Amino acid sequence: MSINAPLPDADVIIVGCGPSGMAAAVELAEAGCSVIVLDMQPTPGGQIFRNLEANLCDTSLAGQSLLAALGPAYRAGADLIQRFRACSRIDYRPQTTVWEVRPDGTVGWLQGMNVGYVRGRQVLLAHGAMERPVPFPGWTLPGVMTAGAVQTLLKAGHLKPSGRIVLAGTGPLLLLLANQLHQLGVKPALVGRTDRLSDSVRAMRHLRPGGLVLLVKGLGWLGRLKLAGVKSVTGLENLAADGAQSVESVSFTVGGKRQTLPCDLLIVHDGIVPAIDIPNAAGLRLQWDGPNASWRPATTPDGLGASTLPPEMSAGPCVLRVTGDARKIGGADAAMAHGRVAAQAILAALDHGAGPSAEALRAVDKALSVRPFLDAAFPPGLAQDLPDDDTIVCRCEELTAGDLRAKIRSGFRNMDALRGETRCGMGPCQGRNCMVTAARLLQDETRAAGCLPTFRGRPPIRPIPLGAVARLSGLAPRATIRLTLEDKPENASEDTVDAPAE
Amino acid sequence: MPRQNETALIIGAGLQGCSIALFLARAGWNVTLLDKNVAGRHASSVNAGGLRTLMRDWREYPLSELAMEHWRHLDRLVGAIAAESCEVRLGVGQIAVALDEAEMSWTLGRVQEMERRGLGTEELLSATEVRKMLPGLTDQALGGLVSRGDGHANPAASTRAFRQAAMAAGAKIVENCRVLGLERLPGGGWSVASSSGRYEVGMLVNCAGAWGAQVAAMAGQTLPLKVVAPSMMVTARAQPFLEPVVIGIDRPLSFKQSAVGSLVIGGGILGKPCADHDTSFTVMDRMPEGAAATLEAFPALAHVPVLRTWTGLEGATPDGIPVIGPGEGTPDLWHVFGFCGHGFQLSPAVGDVVGRSLVSGTVDPLLAPFSGRRFDAGDAA
Repeated sequence: MSINAPLPDADVIIVGCGPSGMAAAVELAEAGCSVIVLDMQPTPGGQIFRNLEANLCDTSLAGQSLLAALGPAYRAGADLIQRFRACSRIDYRPQTTVWEVRPDGTVGWLQGMNVGYVRGRQVLLAHGAMERPVPFPGWTLPGVMTAGAVQTLLKAGHLKPSGRIVLAGTGPLLLLLANQLHQLGVKPALVGRTDRLSDSVRAMRHLRPGGLVLLVKGLGWLGRLKLAGVKSVTGLENLAADGAQSVESVSFTVGGKRQTLPCDLLIVHDGIVPAIDIPNAAGLRLQWDGPNASWRPATTPDGLGASTLPPEMSAGPCVLRVTGDARKIGGADAAMAHGRVAAQAILAALDHGAGPSAEALRAVDKALSVRPFLDAAFPPGLAQDLPDDDTIVCRCEELTAGDLRAKIRSGFRNMDALRGETRCGMGPCQGRNCMVTAARLLQDETRAAGCLPTFRGRPPIRPIPLGAVARLSGLAPRATIRLTLEDKPENASEDTVDAPAE
Repeated sequence: MPRQNETALIIGAGLQGCSIALFLARAGWNVTLLDKNVAGRHASSVNAGGLRTLMRDWREYPLSELAMEHWRHLDRLVGAIAAESCEVRLGVGQIAVALDEAEMSWTLGRVQEMERRGLGTEELLSATEVRKMLPGLTDQALGGLVSRGDGHANPAASTRAFRQAAMAAGAKIVENCRVLGLERLPGGGWSVASSSGRYEVGMLVNCAGAWGAQVAAMAGQTLPLKVVAPSMMVTARAQPFLEPVVIGIDRPLSFKQSAVGSLVIGGGILGKPCADHDTSFTVMDRMPEGAAATLEAFPALAHVPVLRTWTGLEGATPDGIPVIGPGEGTPDLWHVFGFCGHGFQLSPAVGDVVGRSLVSGTVDPLLAPFSGRRFDAGDAA
């Protein structure tokens, strides 16, 4: 390590405080490591266990019925959160946004108007998944939400939707949410699934013993919805939302017939995909997962990523690992299991052990063994076909698929050129929502093979107030050496009129 | 005499290369542009698009004024439709703000200096005037300088417009073509080995930007050039409040509000160049200086979110102005690079004057200050 390199602030920095991040933090802290956990939310839990601590303490009738509706899978996080809170070696920093990660273990953070870098000898990215972006006609209208957003409002805001509600899409979360709403006394007008019976039949080939529980659970959800008289269709296609100021109706095709329903709230969900904004901006190698129509970081089984940056930009080995749904979609159990594996690998890298135990690795395999079944039963639906020319793809800059296709056809045949020309991906979301569609459009037009290209990610990947940038702390002295273009013209008479040089 | 009279090969199809190609092709020359990537991949397309005579080095000033004339009548060079696409906005003005005594003192000196040389249209602004022209400017501002005719344009669109115009005038562009070696032909002219074959030409023009010194070295000529990666910050959209472009004097300050409302903050903060990998990286560790300078001038902007940063590769000479002219002992090899981050505005004049010089066979007097000879031993800064 060079003289000027700042000392690490902790043995390990973990980005994200969901199931995988907490499981890894506990494992590492119990082994004696100092751990910093950075998380955007105010309390531990990630998306799945969001606001669990507070909801468990809520003894009101409404609170109890919410807990009952959210079910045992939600309450299951309580034990892990408690163990996480009990570890004194964990420096937990809530409400903290990560806006840059470097392969050498440097992590940029923002909390309110405070901003800086922290450094870990090892870094674990446990930032989770996102819902697959689904551009369809009308998706940007007020009154169109994702299932995850509705769950967030339920868990943290204690807000229940009202009016005529249509759920459309696919995946376990869609059915789970429909059930939760029903239990809270909200009866959806329709649950429209893009998956078909044939998907379920095909999925049975992938059914493993571990999947039986899920199958039973899923059938239970379907049964209860049916009993409650919630209308349900499968094989939904060509979804569109219509309305002047907000959603007034939804249209779709089922069995070749176009239908329109009045609607106040359209809840869409097309499965979840690894969130790749941090790995992409960190320069980690990504791979394209065709069947899931999504990227994921290319990692070793214990989560170690590979830097694609030139050597000038990343001296030394890459110390970034990825775990949980950020690495591979597997749900909470798989995330906790892999969090432990990644933690054990990190311990070995810090000379504290022999690496992941066989038992921990088996637990990951077991938890992931149900995925092929789920992937086959709920293939991407709403996002399966590329959007029509009139559909907005980049909502920050209000660009349609037609705008992008026209530019691609006129010669902007790589992602960064396309972004520079159209501004697609330059808005506040920095491409989180539009990048996958832009990449698929590009591939569709150019017929390029291989991993779909991404936009080059540059810091900050999340907005930072200008005033906070001005006070950035934890800088690397070598990186801050004053470097600006010196092109101020000299006045010939300078020596007589100018103050002496500093 | 060159063996193949009136044939030129231009290495680097950036804005300067395309502009020279345009003027040469219009003069009837047979012009080929080679680019190791695609035309305008680097500094040409990703600079901030400033059209500035303000605070130009006096040696650049005449060239810059000629360039302004071309920007004002861009349709004559690239056609009306392409000119429209370049989003040329002249007359919004560029203003340099003096935020302390030293900067104010430099400003006064600058005015005298330009007057003495009989150059320019820079006007001194009092504290009151500068604050009136720049709403939100700190009360601490002591004054400033304005070039009312200055403005900005869209750099990527402009590069494209010059490229198209050069092609329309007959220039050929070969992209994804790397120059491998240069060899002087016995009777004059050059043989150029490239990844797309060999070219024999009468005149060779090195417009290789950040790679300019590398190309010069292939001809055995040494010119001082540092590869730099000027970087910028872009904020979320804010209510339009600022028309002129604002630049600093000693501070790393340079910003403007774009048409959509976002603030584009530059100021010469440098990122990390990786020229061998054809790319560059922004370094957030260096951004605080630019952010602080912006806030010192406009304190109310503290809560505006920075959304993104960008950077591009550029070549910088030791004295802050480009090399434009024939190489040592090679009237048939010209170097045109090292624009130090402010070549965008100059480009139409560079094409005009270099083209004129090559056609006439004599170096135009406007180019006298840019000779590479100024770096010969003893002369270098």
